[in-house]
Order: sequence, then C-alpha cells, then structure tokens
Amino acid sequence: MVQFLQQLINGLSIGSVYALMAVGYSLVYSIMNFSNFAHGGVIMLGAYFGFFGLTLLKLPFAVAFLLASFGTLLVAIIVERIAYKPLRERKAPFLYFIISAMGASILLENLVIATIGPTFRTYPEVFPKTPIELGPLAIGRLDLIIFVISAVSLSFLIFFIDKTKLGKAIQAASYNVKACALMGVNTDKVILTVFGLGGFLAGIAGVFFGMKYTVYPQIGNITTKSFIAAVFGGLGSLPGAVLGSVLLGIIETFVAGYLSSQFRDLIAFVILIAVLVLRPTGIMGKVTEDKA
Amino acid sequence: MDWTYIQGILMLAGINMIAVLGLSLLTGFTGLFSFGHAGFMAIGAYVGAWISASPASTPAGMGLPFILAIVGGGAAAGVVSYFIGRISLNLKGDYFCIATLGFGEAIRLIFNNVNRFGGARGWPGVPSNSSFLAILIADIVAVLFLANLVKSRHGRNMIAVREEELAAQIAGIDVFRSKMTSLVISAVYAGVAGVFFAHYMTFIQPKMFSLTKSTELTIIVIFGGLGSISGSVLGALVLTALPEVLRAFEIWRLVFYGAAVILIMVSRPKGLMGGLELTPSGIRKWTAERNALRQAKATLLAEDSGRKED
Amino acid sequence: MAAILHIRDLTKQFGGLTAVDAVSFSVPEGGIVGLIGPNGAGKTTIFNLITGIYRPTSGSIEYRGKSIVGLEPFRIADMGITRTFQNIRLFKNLSVFDNVLTACHLSANYSFAEAILRLPRFRAQEKHLTAKAEELLGIMNLSDYRDLIANNLPYGLQRRLEIVRALALNPKLLLLDEPAAGMNPDETEQLMRLIVRIRDDFGLSVLVIEHHMDLIMGVCEHIVVLNFGEKIAEGSADEISKNAQVIEAYLGTSEEAVDA
Ligand SMILES: Nc1ncnc2c1ncn2[C@@H]1O[C@H](COP(=O)(O)OP(=O)(O)OP(=O)(O)O)[C@@H](O)[C@H]1O
Ligand SMILES: [Mg+2]
Repeated sequence: MVQFLQQLINGLSIGSVYALMAVGYSLVYSIMNFSNFAHGGVIMLGAYFGFFGLTLLKLPFAVAFLLASFGTLLVAIIVERIAYKPLRERKAPFLYFIISAMGASILLENLVIATIGPTFRTYPEVFPKTPIELGPLAIGRLDLIIFVISAVSLSFLIFFIDKTKLGKAIQAASYNVKACALMGVNTDKVILTVFGLGGFLAGIAGVFFGMKYTVYPQIGNITTKSFIAAVFGGLGSLPGAVLGSVLLGIIETFVAGYLSSQFRDLIAFVILIAVLVLRPTGIMGKVTEDKA
Repeated sequence: MDWTYIQGILMLAGINMIAVLGLSLLTGFTGLFSFGHAGFMAIGAYVGAWISASPASTPAGMGLPFILAIVGGGAAAGVVSYFIGRISLNLKGDYFCIATLGFGEAIRLIFNNVNRFGGARGWPGVPSNSSFLAILIADIVAVLFLANLVKSRHGRNMIAVREEELAAQIAGIDVFRSKMTSLVISAVYAGVAGVFFAHYMTFIQPKMFSLTKSTELTIIVIFGGLGSISGSVLGALVLTALPEVLRAFEIWRLVFYGAAVILIMVSRPKGLMGGLELTPSGIRKWTAERNALRQAKATLLAEDSGRKED
Repeated sequence: MAAILHIRDLTKQFGGLTAVDAVSFSVPEGGIVGLIGPNGAGKTTIFNLITGIYRPTSGSIEYRGKSIVGLEPFRIADMGITRTFQNIRLFKNLSVFDNVLTACHLSANYSFAEAILRLPRFRAQEKHLTAKAEELLGIMNLSDYRDLIANNLPYGLQRRLEIVRALALNPKLLLLDEPAAGMNPDETEQLMRLIVRIRDDFGLSVLVIEHHMDLIMGVCEHIVVLNFGEKIAEGSADEISKNAQVIEAYLGTSEEAVDA
C-alpha cells in the first residue's frame, strides 16, 4: 500500500511535467491542426536556459526559472514566424507544417550540440534532497514543488483561456479559424499567443525535467511521450492533454515499478497504438461523422 | 576525394534510394504520410543480419546466402506492415501519421530490448555483402517495378486515392486495398533497403532507425517532388550527398540540414521535379499539358470576346 | 416498368437532427426521376445513403431487388450505381484523359504481376481502356481538352467531366447532384439534352437533384419533393407544380431567405 501511494505520487509528479508539455502540443493543434514537433526542441532549450541561469549567471532559482520560461516563449514565437508563418500564408497542407517542424527540431537540437556540446549536465541542487515525511510516506521535495507549480501554471492557463478576451478568441478559433477571421478576429495574434503560451509552459517543463533528470540535447525525444499524452487525452483538447499526461505519468511509473523499467518507454507507444485503434479522438476529443 | 570515398557515398545514396522509392509510392502516389519507415528498415536490417550472419558470431546468425537475407528482410517488413495497415489505414490524415510514428518508435524500442539481437548495444558481426553492383541492380529493379506499377490500373487507383478519396470510392476503387498494397510494397522496399544498409555498415544498432531517419526519408521524397520517380532518385542522390559533403563542417552539418529542410518547405513546395518525370514520355506528357492549357485559355478568351460582341 | 431502385422508409439521423425521415420512392428502369426540395432538405444525404457513404439509421434500399444497405461504396459502384458530387470532386491534378482512364479500371482484370512484367494481357487490356476513354471523351465533346489538367477546366466542363467519369464505370443507375449548378441558361439547356441523350444511348436510369426548375420540369418523368427530410409530394411535373404543399414549402423558404 505504501509502495502503491509512493508510486502514485511519483507518477503525478512526472505526469504534471508531461502536462506542461502536452498542452503546448494541444494548443497549437487546436488552432492549426498539425502536430508541432518543434515543441520538443523548445522544451530542451528551456532546460538549458534554466541550467545556465543557475550555473553560469548564478541567478537565484526564481529568476533563472523566469529567464527559462520567457526565453522559450521567445523561441517558440521565432520558430512560428520562420517555419510556419510562410506556410500559413500559402495555405500549405498540414504535412508541410509537420516537415517544417521536424526541420526546426533537427536544427534546434543540433544547434545545441554544435555550440554547447552533446554532454549530459546535471542541475545544481536547488532544493534539499531530504524528503518530506508524511507518516510512512516520503515525498520528494522536488516532486512536490514540481507538482504544485505545474498545477498553478495550468490553472493560470485555463483561467486565461476561459476568462480573457484573447483566450476566448483562441477558443473560438479552435472551432473555426476561417469564420473567426471573417468576424474580425486577428488570427495572427491568436496564433502568436498560442505559441507564446505553449513556449512559456515549455520553459517551465524544461527546467523541471532537467532538475528531475539531466539536461542533454536529445531531451526532445522524451518529449515525444508528452505528445503521446496529448493524443491519449484527445488532440486539441486542453483538459484532455492534462488528463492524458497525468494518466500516462502514473501508468509509466507503475509499469516501471511493478513490471520492468525496460518497458517504461515502450508503454507510451503501446498506449498510443491502443488509443488510435480503439478511439482515435482520444479520451476527450470530439467524434464527428465526415461530411461528404 | 578519392574514388572509394565517392563510391561509399553513392552506395549509401543507392541504399537510401530504395527506401525513398518505396516511400514515394506511399506518399507521392497514394497520398499517405509515414513517420515510421525507419521501423521497416530496422526490421529488414535485423532479419537480414540474422539470416546471413555466421552462426559462430555473437549474436549468432544462420549463415545463409545474401540473396535470402534480401528476400527475408523485405518479406518480414512487408508482413509487419500488413498488420500495422490493418489497424491504422482507416485513420484519417494526421492520425495515420501519428500511428506510423508510434509503430516506428515501438519497433525500435522492441529491438532495444531484444537481447537475442544484441539489444541497445547492437549487432556487430553483419557480413559485408552490399557491393556497389548489388545496390545498383537493386535500384534499377526498384525503379522499373515502380514505374510499371504507377502506369497500370493498380497504380492509377492509388493515384486516385491520393487525389480524392471519396471520388475514388465512388469510382469503384477499393480504397483500403489500394492503400494496403501501397503500404506493403513501400515497407518491402524499406525492408530491402534495411538489409543493404546492415550489410553495408556491418554493424547495426536500434538507434540508427529512429524517428529522425523516418523524417529524413519523407523529406527526401518531398524534396524530390511528390508523385515523381525521377524526383525521388535525384532527391536521394542530392540529399544523401549533402550531409556528406558538409562533413567538413562536422558538427554544424545537421544544423544546416535542419535549416535547409525549413527552407525547402517554406520556399519550394513542389520539390525538385514537381510531379514531372524525366523520361521521354514524361516530358511529352508535360508539354501536352502545357499546350492544352495555352489552347484552353485561347479558346475561352475567344468565346468571351465573342459573347461581348453579341 | 420494373423499378431499378427501391427505397423504403429510409431514415438518417445525425445526432439529434433527422436529415432524412422515412422517405420512400423508386426509380423505374430507364426512367429519369427528379429529387427536389429546399436547401438542407436531405437530398444529398439520400445520395450518400444510396452510394454507401453513410449508413442509414433505418429503412431499406434495394437495387435490382437486392438490398445494398451496409455495402461499401466501391462495391455499390461495382454493381452499377455511380454519381456526381454537388461540390465537384474530380482528380484535380490529373489530365482530363487520366480522370476518365482511371475510372475505366473496372473494364480490365489483368493481375498485378501481369502489370509489373508488362505481359501481353496487360498490353491488350490497356489498349482497350485507352480506346474506351478516348471514345467517351469524344461522345461527350471533351476531346479538345484531353490533355488539360482537370483543375484548369472551366467550371461547366468540370461538371461534364464528372459525368463522363461516372459513365466510364458502365453504370446502370446514375445519380446527378445539382449538375446545373453554376451554369448559365445556355449550358443548362445543353445539359438537359445531354441527360436525355445519355439515358437513351447508355441505357441507364437517372436520379437527379436540381434547383433549376426548368431542367427538372423539362426532363424528369417523375419528381419526388422533400422538405425537412420528409417526402411531401411526388408525381409528374404537372402534378408537382400544382401541389399546394410544394408551393408552400418553396414559398416558405424563399420568405425565410428574405428574412435572413
Ligand atoms: N455529416 C453530417 N453531419 C451532420 N449533419 C449533416 C451531415 N450531412 C448532412 N447533414 C445535415 O443534414 C441536413 C440535410 O443536408 P443535405 O446536404 O442532405 O441537404 P440538401 O438537400 O442536399 O441541401 P442543398 O440543397 O443545400 O444541397 C442538413 O441540415 C445538413 O446540415
Ligand atoms: Mg445537397
């Protein structure tokens, strides 16, 4: 029982990091209908920004944290401008977006390898390693902080989408971009906001990921799993992305804990395939009949 | 640059070309995009290695002739693709892509965990059987097969599926079957390419067949021009050579490569050949289409002015 | 005359919306039947049900005495039912000729291996397909545009090409979804003659959706009227044009249209 709860807490912690990443995929998908594979590269940069903020610049954690998130916000927007905007203007098919995204992802990853190097780096210890004892349970301080900050950030995101004017425009655009443009919504602004939000959360996720594990240029490969979480929950749905991520985090931890850690990475793909076979629109996606 | 070096690049390009031609059928002619073809290459590579590697080496193989490795590797990839197709070919647009990505990565992770095949450390003892001549012959066969296929009713049905799926169905085309045929053939191509790759490198490792490899193949197909066999051939030659030529810059070459990919997408969406074939009949067709367009414009203009005069 | 198509109590619901509500009618062998009704009445949905793109919620569709409900669209096409689309769906990037040639595929049965190896049977049958496609283009006056990419064809000719493509399947029942949409009166007139001509020359039956009343009244021997998914009337052109319910349905919508 204790082990079960312990695993559950670990799962929640990693699941909340996935959620920060997954909402970025989902936000972009909801407006532009393509899977933004450059997002992984943005997350990776976030991890590096935070790392160098702490080590090179010796910034306090909160400042390094903000540096990372605003840095990735900027990167996400730059990627949009360079790799997607021309395609948008040409109304290119979704595949060109995906390939362009892959190109951006290759570029970011190798830019880091070329300039910073391929080595693994470990974050300095920001929070003491001693766990918080809760009866028989030992909760990692870092896990708790990750969980709380992620939850707060995601609530902020949902508040933004639900309550602000720009957020409402995003919602409207996710139903029908063309109609929105006709009604005078500035779609370019909506798209920039979406990339900005996704980028900001990617920075947070990158820092946490780096703190929990290590920093290296291929982190982007791991973030594929958060993309799977977004598909699991239903691409394009924010609550779906969060739910899918938390579930994936928990399932992964249990598989690693009870079966074998070798299957840990495989399970995400097994889930992906199962979801696509049983319910391609994911847990919370809409099911529609195609119009002929 | 000496001949062995150039020959090495050409061989690599020739191997890539086989996989690219297969993917060209799926993507350029049938309109389905895959991010999992590296997985089929992996299956071909491993099954091929298993068939031809010597029983004395570790991991142990069967020590059979190379030709059986080619047949076995291609067939294995084809069979696996059939089952994947059963599951995923009914998915729409983006979701088929995602499914292939999932399968491709899953295949790689499975090889990572199969110790019989060397696991993540890889398989070092693959015989060096991929000769220049063998690759050249394979490329020629691959091109001829594809060229004959797309100019038959089977190939035209695939093109119809690419153009307009619903209309294809209404025209009595079994869309699922056309897609399946295309997928299986493209997987066999990838599998065969994998066999040649394994016997060229003589050492294979699951991480050689990652998502990046799949993406690379798709990029070459698009770069060459969707729906053009000559485009795929040229694309494979140019884009395989490019990173090699850039090797002087070593660590920067993949940065350039990524930037080039974005640039291609952003600037030249029709690809090198833009659907045109560099063959006598291809060029004839192209001129005929251009003339027809010019003529049609002229007739319409004449009709228009005729109407105004009335 | 025996009925080639027999529809009974056909119903299709999309979520809460009943797009087609217990509609019954038949198309006689060799007949030209019109299907009319205001926008959103469910006409196209009926075509989608007949051709197997949608599955009916309930009801039956019999073609030459056999139920075709639940069959895949390509099988239904195989059996001899084909159609055109309201929003033209050609193979856009292919030439006019290739559009028709592709649709001729049912007239060949060479195998995959024969195609790859270019065996004699393949050559002979391909020759036959080419001749057939050329002939169809000739009959329908499209030969001049043979090599034009379909997308570059003027609108009216695109509609005609869709009909040629349908004819390439040797259909027994042809469904036309607003074939005159976007045509000027001249072209509509031509189209009317064309419809009658293909019925006679190819010996097929036609079910046509149209908003141009001239066309419907001019060529249809029998007319079925839909409104909000229900059949409100059927009969000859004369009967329909005098039917009070039909007049009301059309006037009703035109008033709404004015309001909107
Ligand atoms: N796939 C679908 N999902 C949901 N509703 C649908 C679908 N297809 C059609 N409908 C609805 O069914 C109703 C009938 O549509 P249909 O296209 O059959 O009308 P129609 O008579 O062909 O009209 P028009 O003259 O405008 O072409 C409409 O309200 C339409 O919105
Ligand atoms: Mg309609």
